[in-house]
Amino acid sequence: MKKVKQATILLTATAMVGMLAACGSASNNNNQASGSPSASAPSSAAPEKLKKISLFQSKVEIAEPLEALAKTYQKETGNEVEVWGSAGDAYATQLQAKLAAGEGPTVFSVATGAEADKFKSYYADLSDEPFAKDIAKDMALKDGDKIVGVPYGVEGFGLVYNKSMVDPKNVTDLASFTQTLEKIKSEGKNGLSLSQEAYFLIGHIINTPFALQADPTGFIEKLNKGEVKMADTKEFQEFAKFMEAIRANTTNPMEVKYDSQMGDFATGKNAMVHQGNWSYGMLKDFGDLGFDVGMMGLPLAGNDKIAVGVASNWVVNSKADADQVKAAKAFLNWMFTSDSGKNAIVNEFKFIPAMTNIEAGELDPLSQTVYEATKNGQTIPWALNYFPQGIIVNDLAPATQAFFLDKKMTGEQFLKNLDAAWAKGAK
Amino acid sequence: MPLLLVFTTVVILPFLIGIGYSFVKWDGIPANPKVFVGFDNYVALFKDDRFLTSAWHTIAFTVLALVLVNVLGLLFSLLVTSKLRVGNAARTMFFLPNLIGGLILGYIWQFVFTDAFKFLGEKTGLDSIFFNWLIDPKFALFAMVVVFTWQMAGYTMIIYIAGIQGIPDELNEAARVDGANLWHRLTRIVFPLLMPSFTICLFLTLSGAFKIFDVNLSLTKGGPNNATEMFAMNIFNEIFGYGHYGLGQAKAIVFFIIVAAVTLTQVIITKKREVQY
Repeated sequence: MKKVKQATILLTATAMVGMLAACGSASNNNNQASGSPSASAPSSAAPEKLKKISLFQSKVEIAEPLEALAKTYQKETGNEVEVWGSAGDAYATQLQAKLAAGEGPTVFSVATGAEADKFKSYYADLSDEPFAKDIAKDMALKDGDKIVGVPYGVEGFGLVYNKSMVDPKNVTDLASFTQTLEKIKSEGKNGLSLSQEAYFLIGHIINTPFALQADPTGFIEKLNKGEVKMADTKEFQEFAKFMEAIRANTTNPMEVKYDSQMGDFATGKNAMVHQGNWSYGMLKDFGDLGFDVGMMGLPLAGNDKIAVGVASNWVVNSKADADQVKAAKAFLNWMFTSDSGKNAIVNEFKFIPAMTNIEAGELDPLSQTVYEATKNGQTIPWALNYFPQGIIVNDLAPATQAFFLDKKMTGEQFLKNLDAAWAKGAK
Repeated sequence: MPLLLVFTTVVILPFLIGIGYSFVKWDGIPANPKVFVGFDNYVALFKDDRFLTSAWHTIAFTVLALVLVNVLGLLFSLLVTSKLRVGNAARTMFFLPNLIGGLILGYIWQFVFTDAFKFLGEKTGLDSIFFNWLIDPKFALFAMVVVFTWQMAGYTMIIYIAGIQGIPDELNEAARVDGANLWHRLTRIVFPLLMPSFTICLFLTLSGAFKIFDVNLSLTKGGPNNATEMFAMNIFNEIFGYGHYGLGQAKAIVFFIIVAAVTLTQVIITKKREVQY
């Protein structure tokens, strides 16, 4: 039995070499070079030993499966990928420090938008790689005409709700939203929970009024130049009322962390959380929840769509040495074209694929909602990707903290503070 | 000579390069251009409200921490050098927090302030004292002081103990025979002879409190609403948060000058008051 298994691995490995050699670009056409010994298949024509590469990425949720995937990769191909620990909120900072010191990772992730712009001098051209043609339309990260990044997958966020406590029909506008919160509060539960992390406190929820503008990126540009103000814009005025309702009727988000937020949701203490499909990974740790979860849009100005976009992209560090760049491309090819890689993306990372060659697997309920919304076009964009770099953590979050800590601050004052914070952050 | 070489390469050169960076506008990414802007960064930093507020926070924090750390350190040292049976155990316990790194200490205390304090408040009804200190702008700063004191008091205690043990017993005995009470012996004999220890301890706490970063990062991250953002964290945010490398570097230089000036003044003043017996 064991022999058979080994043989299968061998076969897959050899097949892989063939594939890589067949469709490989000019940069890796010497793949059929003599088999240097590799860990799992010492006696065969194993793939060429590629240089060890390092990988650094921002998503804490996939840290463990990613390390497992690196091990699988080593088993199947004999090549090593060192996965560095994920850094969460501090990711961009650490990445910048490492790159500036010339000790950058070979493969890393960047968020679409301002962050991707910031690091663009580091991207290797991936246009000729085999997986490039499989990236779904308009989803690739581009620098001019060149494809420089592969999307992780699409993600969506909105109001994640407990179906036994909330009926979406009762959450369609400000009045019904507030009523729902008040009703749940009177029952001794908590209607909606935000949490203290910058993105979960303000970054995601403020996306809605931006996304509902006729031209979100144009609006952001005008905001950067100071030509428009949030305080004078209808959608934001309503947004402020939503925030007032949240502050008046729910637990103070400053005392809530992501894990307590999701924990209380899983145990039925929170009826809704403003979260994304990634949060299901946390819910599944609680086993059988005893209720169904759903996701709906924040009902701002009649909005009923969830926000869907590409959060992160894999890029290859062009400043790494040529052998490493080659090894990095081989790894990405393996991840997006081999069965193990595709399986990991769909079933381990639980991503909703943004590749045409990868079928969505068995999705959890939240991802299923996002997947269907994407197919039906029932989505609003991620305007927050085009915010000035770092503004959510540096400027918007402190202003929002002040709003939640000072019960006397009005919604209008909050908007003015956000405008002031924006002016500083966009400098 | 080798010492000089090492010192030049790891201290002097980077320092000079740092000064150079403070005159350019740059986002910290090597591939992007550095634009020379002269003294613009220095002008800008004095107009930066957030920097000036963080300066104020740092000063308030330093004054509070300086007093608390040294008063407690001195008390502890007097306590464990008096003929106390649990002296050695107490000494170990007071010193132990110093062996825990600032980052970890910050996380431990974050738990204490958010969960334990809330629990205490609910159980005892004293919720005007025991609530989550970290979400109140004023109390968050006190929380920083508490944690820093927790960390540093044991360390200064050790230095004071060394100082106290260096005072010959005959002096105290003689004074006792002459009828001096405890207060007189402390103020007339112990404190003047402890002056060298004061110099060291004040210097350590002063510069440590000014440059505080680890506890700041792990305990409050500068929040809420930047109410506990200290100098070092402000510089860090300027460089890595906003990507204003030049401006951040200019702030760092100003920061250095302030720390150097303050600590030097302190050392000169306390040195003058040191006495020989």
